Amino acid sequence: MTAHTTSVRTVNPASLGVSTPAQQTPLPTPIGLYVHIPFCERKCPYCDFNTYAGMASLYADYVDALCLDLARWGSALAARPVATVFLGGGTPTVLDEALLARIFQAIQDHFALLPGAEITCEANPGAVDRAKFQALRRLGVNRLSMGIQSFQPEELRFLGRIHSAEEGAEAFQAARTAGFSNINLDFIFGLPGQEAKSWAATLDQAVALGPEHLSLYSLIVEPGTPLHHWVESGRVPAPDEDQAALLYEMAMARLDRAGYVQYEVSNWARGEGASPGVSRPTEPTHVCRHNRIYWRNQEYLGLGPGAHSHLTLAQGAASIPQELRWGNLRSVPEYIRRVQADQSTVDFQEVIHPRLAMGETMMLGLRLLQEGVPFATFQERHGQDLRQVFRAELARLTEWGLLAVDEERVRLTRRGLLLGNQVFAAFLPDAS
Amino acid sequence: MNLDHIRNFSIIAHIDHGKSTLADRLLQLTGTVTEREMKEQLLDSMELEREKGVTIKASAVRMIYKHQGQEYEINLIDTPGHVDFTYEVKRALQACEGAVLVVDASQGIQAQTMAHLFAALELDLAIIPVINKIDLPAAMPDDVAQEIEELLGVPAEDIPRISAKNGVNVETVLERVIQEVPPPQGDVNAPLRALVFDCHYDPYKGVIAYVRIVDGQIQGTPSLLAMRKGTRMEPLEVGVLTPSLFKTGHLHAGEVGYIATGLKSVQDLDVGDTITLAESPAAEPLPGYQPMKPMVFAGLYPSNPDDYDDLRDALEKLRLNDAALVYEPETSQALGFGFRLGFLGLFHMEIVQERLEREYGLDIIFTAPSVAYRVVKTDGTELIIDSPAELPEPTEVERIEEPWCEVHIFTPAEYIGPIMDLVTKRRGEVKNQTWLDSKRVELTYMMPLAELIVDFYNELKARTRGYASMDYSLEGYRPADMVKLDILVNHQPVDALSVIVHRDDAYPKGQKLVSKMKQIIPRQMFTVPIQAAIGNKVISRANVKALRKDVLSKCYGGDVSRKRKLLEKQKAGKKRMKMVGSVEIPQEAFMSVLRLGDED
Ligand SMILES: Nc1nc2c(ncn2[C@@H]2O[C@H](COP(=O)(O)OP(=O)(O)OP(=O)(O)O)[C@@H](O)[C@H]2O)c(=O)[nH]1
Ligand code: SF4
Ligand SMILES: [Mg+2]
Repeated sequence: MTAHTTSVRTVNPASLGVSTPAQQTPLPTPIGLYVHIPFCERKCPYCDFNTYAGMASLYADYVDALCLDLARWGSALAARPVATVFLGGGTPTVLDEALLARIFQAIQDHFALLPGAEITCEANPGAVDRAKFQALRRLGVNRLSMGIQSFQPEELRFLGRIHSAEEGAEAFQAARTAGFSNINLDFIFGLPGQEAKSWAATLDQAVALGPEHLSLYSLIVEPGTPLHHWVESGRVPAPDEDQAALLYEMAMARLDRAGYVQYEVSNWARGEGASPGVSRPTEPTHVCRHNRIYWRNQEYLGLGPGAHSHLTLAQGAASIPQELRWGNLRSVPEYIRRVQADQSTVDFQEVIHPRLAMGETMMLGLRLLQEGVPFATFQERHGQDLRQVFRAELARLTEWGLLAVDEERVRLTRRGLLLGNQVFAAFLPDAS
Repeated sequence: MNLDHIRNFSIIAHIDHGKSTLADRLLQLTGTVTEREMKEQLLDSMELEREKGVTIKASAVRMIYKHQGQEYEINLIDTPGHVDFTYEVKRALQACEGAVLVVDASQGIQAQTMAHLFAALELDLAIIPVINKIDLPAAMPDDVAQEIEELLGVPAEDIPRISAKNGVNVETVLERVIQEVPPPQGDVNAPLRALVFDCHYDPYKGVIAYVRIVDGQIQGTPSLLAMRKGTRMEPLEVGVLTPSLFKTGHLHAGEVGYIATGLKSVQDLDVGDTITLAESPAAEPLPGYQPMKPMVFAGLYPSNPDDYDDLRDALEKLRLNDAALVYEPETSQALGFGFRLGFLGLFHMEIVQERLEREYGLDIIFTAPSVAYRVVKTDGTELIIDSPAELPEPTEVERIEEPWCEVHIFTPAEYIGPIMDLVTKRRGEVKNQTWLDSKRVELTYMMPLAELIVDFYNELKARTRGYASMDYSLEGYRPADMVKLDILVNHQPVDALSVIVHRDDAYPKGQKLVSKMKQIIPRQMFTVPIQAAIGNKVISRANVKALRKDVLSKCYGGDVSRKRKLLEKQKAGKKRMKMVGSVEIPQEAFMSVLRLGDED
């Protein structure tokens, strides 16, 4: 085990006292629950998520372990209600209905889901059909997130996706017919050589399908991926940043016209009462509540190999609660082994001290374009006035036109949105 | 020991001809170091010397050798071969009566062979030429012997042919030293006069002076006096170099050894000074050394302004055993507080840079090197400036004169063309051409020093596949049409990027600098214009386009730590840049001016 960063014992549900927020507040704050399914039918060449192809023989054992892990964490965090569940990956839909059912059963058995909880499942076209969608509905899934990535055949080929453009659209229709009324579609832009025309076509088709939510991510060449190797060896040109910027701004304009509200740097949701071309959206209605927990710097538990958690915990009987972030080890067999042995699965863990926590609140919260960081929320979370703590940063960044401050909150300006990293970094303490 | 049984000699040669390797063999032969202690180029004890395989500092060692039933004390000084360290050679030679001139059998006579030979001849030393590396397949010992015969008048067949590497014929060298190097003269009973030929700072023993006792003797630890500086010393010990410090308690005329002076600061003792007894001083000090003239000047700044004091301390320490290093405080708008340093050449500058980085762990920035110009002002006054910042306004300048030097280049004849081309491009003039033999020539040129210091040596090596060697010496000043080329970033001149250049070069140089800056300066939140200008006239420009988009739009899920670390890294990178106005300029920008070669 390689626990780094701190001297704190790595988190193990077996050693936890009852979580402290629960003791302090009459109504314990709800958390998000992320469950990782580290399997895909084929590994996409650009992907650096913790997911593996060709591991079907492990599915059953993995689900066993996951259920055990859910059980032990469920009892450790018994008092924390769960507002959102996100079954992500990987491709959760590679699991058959029986295995999926066991996971949802374990969640139901060990966690207190709030009424109306958002329950999302990721799906990739090619691995799903209408029957699978119906099964997901039966298991209580009420939101789907589908990795479409593109509607252009040659782009899908470049991305190494297992599905065609038609299959992407068909999968969406199948989900609708199965009764899903809250669907997100994921797209990737900024492929090497990608032109505005093909991106526009993809966006138009996406809009035509009318999903409730869209996530647009720019292609990042991540070390260790085949794509990285291709770029390094000159087989593929590196993505052009200026072109990516152009495509991004194009998407902003098109989706705005189509009635979507960009509520986060990479995320759009259908606006209140808006239908294409009729009225301008004001309030997004279908934001991803699970991801919003991340952006609001709230708490979540992530289970499965490589999953990340953020919780304030008191470890041991009398110790003081600490704000922690940790990540699980990435190996699937090792994860299974550890859970079976009732050992910690943590590989990386850090204590978030109060100054860092404030920085994180800014770095994450400013990604929410309308919500930003409300002063009241900040005060409540950190016991300090944002305008005092970050007086210098706010002054500088507003002067540069990157931030807008009003009575209630601070937000990114449009310019600030495009140069977000410059803004976020300013709030982080200097790394030691 | 009786003076008749003492020999003092230096090993001199062109760079890499095998001086230090020969010294190794002699140390072994005389049993001065045990087999266990032996390692290649043992006298190259500095980390940097070992890594580069180049001698930077001269080092002395005493050996005891039995010859024909007699015991001799032989003091050897291994010297550096690089052109920048010729002064070290000269100092070493002053402590000797003879010099072993090593010539590589595959390369023959090269520029520093000549330069160092002349230095030895000027002091009337006995010269023992030796042909080394005869084991090499490319060795041409007969040709080289012939060259040497023509040069020195020593019959070719009398010149020892050795392989220092394989230990072939090495003993002959020692025998020759005993036979041909005269024993030191000097009066043991005269008042003490010890020539300080080098200095070194030892954290335990303070300032160690390496001395050649010219007259008199030291017994025990009497009070001493540095005659020129007037510093009094209460020495801790005296002894010889084996090559480590070996305390003997006495040193007498003719010997080479050390004095642990008890001084705590190197400023209190100059190399070249004469040490005498405080109570019964000598009447006159020894002639000493000509002060070394720095040729190249550059600004030196700590990357982190907080390290200024550390940098100053490091320079003080460095100067203890690098007497050629001179410096004074300097400030820059862009880089803050720093120093102006003078060097003997670019290699010297490089060595200083690396020593500061390694031995003192400092992160430093050098500005572009400059030579010293003579400026005659309209009011008739004259000044010497070595930094673009010191150049007066053009209206106050009557004329500028720049240093010229005579350059000797030794090369196989087939490279004459490419060398000519290089020299002409650098404003050089042909002075002479002498055939060394049927294949090799010595070319003599006159050239502005400023042209020589920017990468000339590397260029020469590149154009001659490493075969040419060169030497140069200053030959006075000539009027020159020099201008100050400024680099403006976001309309603001960045002082640390200014250079003094010849008017004819200003345009290409300006273009090169601008495009280099454009590559190095990262995109900022606004468009950053970069301009090269002479006075108010902009001669080249380019824009660093504004950052269009810089925002993580990838799905990191709950892995906030990773996302944050990326941003922290970005922020740390920014912190290491220098803010000039509102523009962040990376440190490489300042260093890159150094590396503006010809061919890019
Ligand atoms: N083949 C062969 N190589 C030798 C001989 N003597 C020295 N060398 C090699 O030549 C290179 C330079 O040797 P050094 O002894 O460092 O030369 P130097 O003259 O002290 O060099 P500087 O101090 O840098 O001027 C080393 O790689 C030696 O191993 C020799 O007799 N034969
Ligand atoms: S389907 Fe998604 S998770 Fe799986 S390899 Fe491709 S990009 Fe990665
Ligand atoms: Mg050497």
